[in-house]
Amino acid sequence: MKLYLYGIIDSSDQIKESIYGLEGAGVYNIPYYNIGAVVSEINQPIQGVTESNVLEHEAVVEKLMKDFTVLPVRFQTAIDGRDNLLSMVQSYYKDFKDNLERLYNKFEFGIKVIWPADKIKENIVKVLKTNKQKMSDASASKRFMKERFEKYKIDKEFQTKANKFIKVMDIFFSRFATGKKVGKLKTENLLIDAVYLVEKAKENNFREAFEHIKSTHPGFKYLFSGPWPPYNFVVLSPKSGLLQNAEQADIFDKVIRCQSLAGAESI
Amino acid sequence: MIANEIVETDSPEEFAEEIQKSQNALPPKIDANPKNVEKGLAKLVLTLIELIRKLLERQAMKRVEAGSLSDEEVERVGETLMKLESKMEELKEIFGLKSEELNLNLGPLGDLM
Amino acid sequence: MNSVMTKSKNVTLLEVLDRVLDKGVVISGDMVISVAGVDLIYLGLRALLSSVETMEKLRGSTFPA
Repeated sequence: MKLYLYGIIDSSDQIKESIYGLEGAGVYNIPYYNIGAVVSEINQPIQGVTESNVLEHEAVVEKLMKDFTVLPVRFQTAIDGRDNLLSMVQSYYKDFKDNLERLYNKFEFGIKVIWPADKIKENIVKVLKTNKQKMSDASASKRFMKERFEKYKIDKEFQTKANKFIKVMDIFFSRFATGKKVGKLKTENLLIDAVYLVEKAKENNFREAFEHIKSTHPGFKYLFSGPWPPYNFVVLSPKSGLLQNAEQADIFDKVIRCQSLAGAESI
Repeated sequence: MIANEIVETDSPEEFAEEIQKSQNALPPKIDANPKNVEKGLAKLVLTLIELIRKLLERQAMKRVEAGSLSDEEVERVGETLMKLESKMEELKEIFGLKSEELNLNLGPLGDLM
Repeated sequence: MNSVMTKSKNVTLLEVLDRVLDKGVVISGDMVISVAGVDLIYLGLRALLSSVETMEKLRGSTFPA
């Protein structure tokens, strides 16, 4: 019997609320010692990523989040049979337990900030034009150097300005967070793409900090999301059997692939 | 749908655009398929050469900024950098690789370049 | 997989996708039926390496070299 997995919770109790997941199937908890794996039974082969099944999956995880600490499981993870499921939970019990304790009563919030990169660069160019330093453009090589240098100066100032804003904002948000991952300038316009781990008790302070930044930096655009289950803050040790979080798995896989490229036969 | 209540923004389309751009910008994983191993190797090698070229260029710019290059040195460094760049373009063409493909995703460390 | 992501202009969906497809608890192994967003070559190597360990663990014996 195929069991579609939504998350690992810090309880061995049955779920009181009636929750329905993929294929409209009932969602229930398979306990293991003092934790549990929340599943529903699926019959069809998994169809692939569609808007509706993704949102159905997420809706289940969010309902669980109201009553339990949830370690959300990646979309489209299904396990063949209860025995296999229990073996899996057994082999990762310590990791699951550690994460559930560490993440108890904490939620993830996402903050994204867009800034007007083009306008910022225009202003930088204006300021730099007033600079007295002029480079020679007497030859092709010199023109190349001049052009590259101008680009270099613009980029450097652009990065400096970005870092200034990011630092100010991050300091404000971090005050009420116990964890964070801050992505900087993923695109020219996407100044900040960050997630913060915030204790329930500090949620209002955190939201206020966000509102404060919004009001003191009106030229930017803002996106605030959450509370989410702690997708970005689950940490699983690679040594613990097979279970790896996505990032650790990525490094592991790159090593494998580099070695296979180099003709190595085993790790 | 609960999810609809937890994302708040005054500029949904701009964020949708930037999010997609940031995801598309991720360099593809190196393909370990034996048929494509040669291309995979070329990608790896050219990525590293490109990294070195960019570092050299950045070093040169720092020296221009510091004013520590003579007129003649600017000329020579400029010529060298130009040649390096055109050589890279040649190599990219030979292996059918685009600039965006010459990058490595180092997981939590971000992209190489 | 990527068709949903590239076609959608819905920022909420993009936020959800970014989390559920790539983050959280990721399991590999021969008892897992399918994993989202992972091409077969990528999964094959991992599953191969990890399935040997799984078998050893579940059956309590050393896999012959």
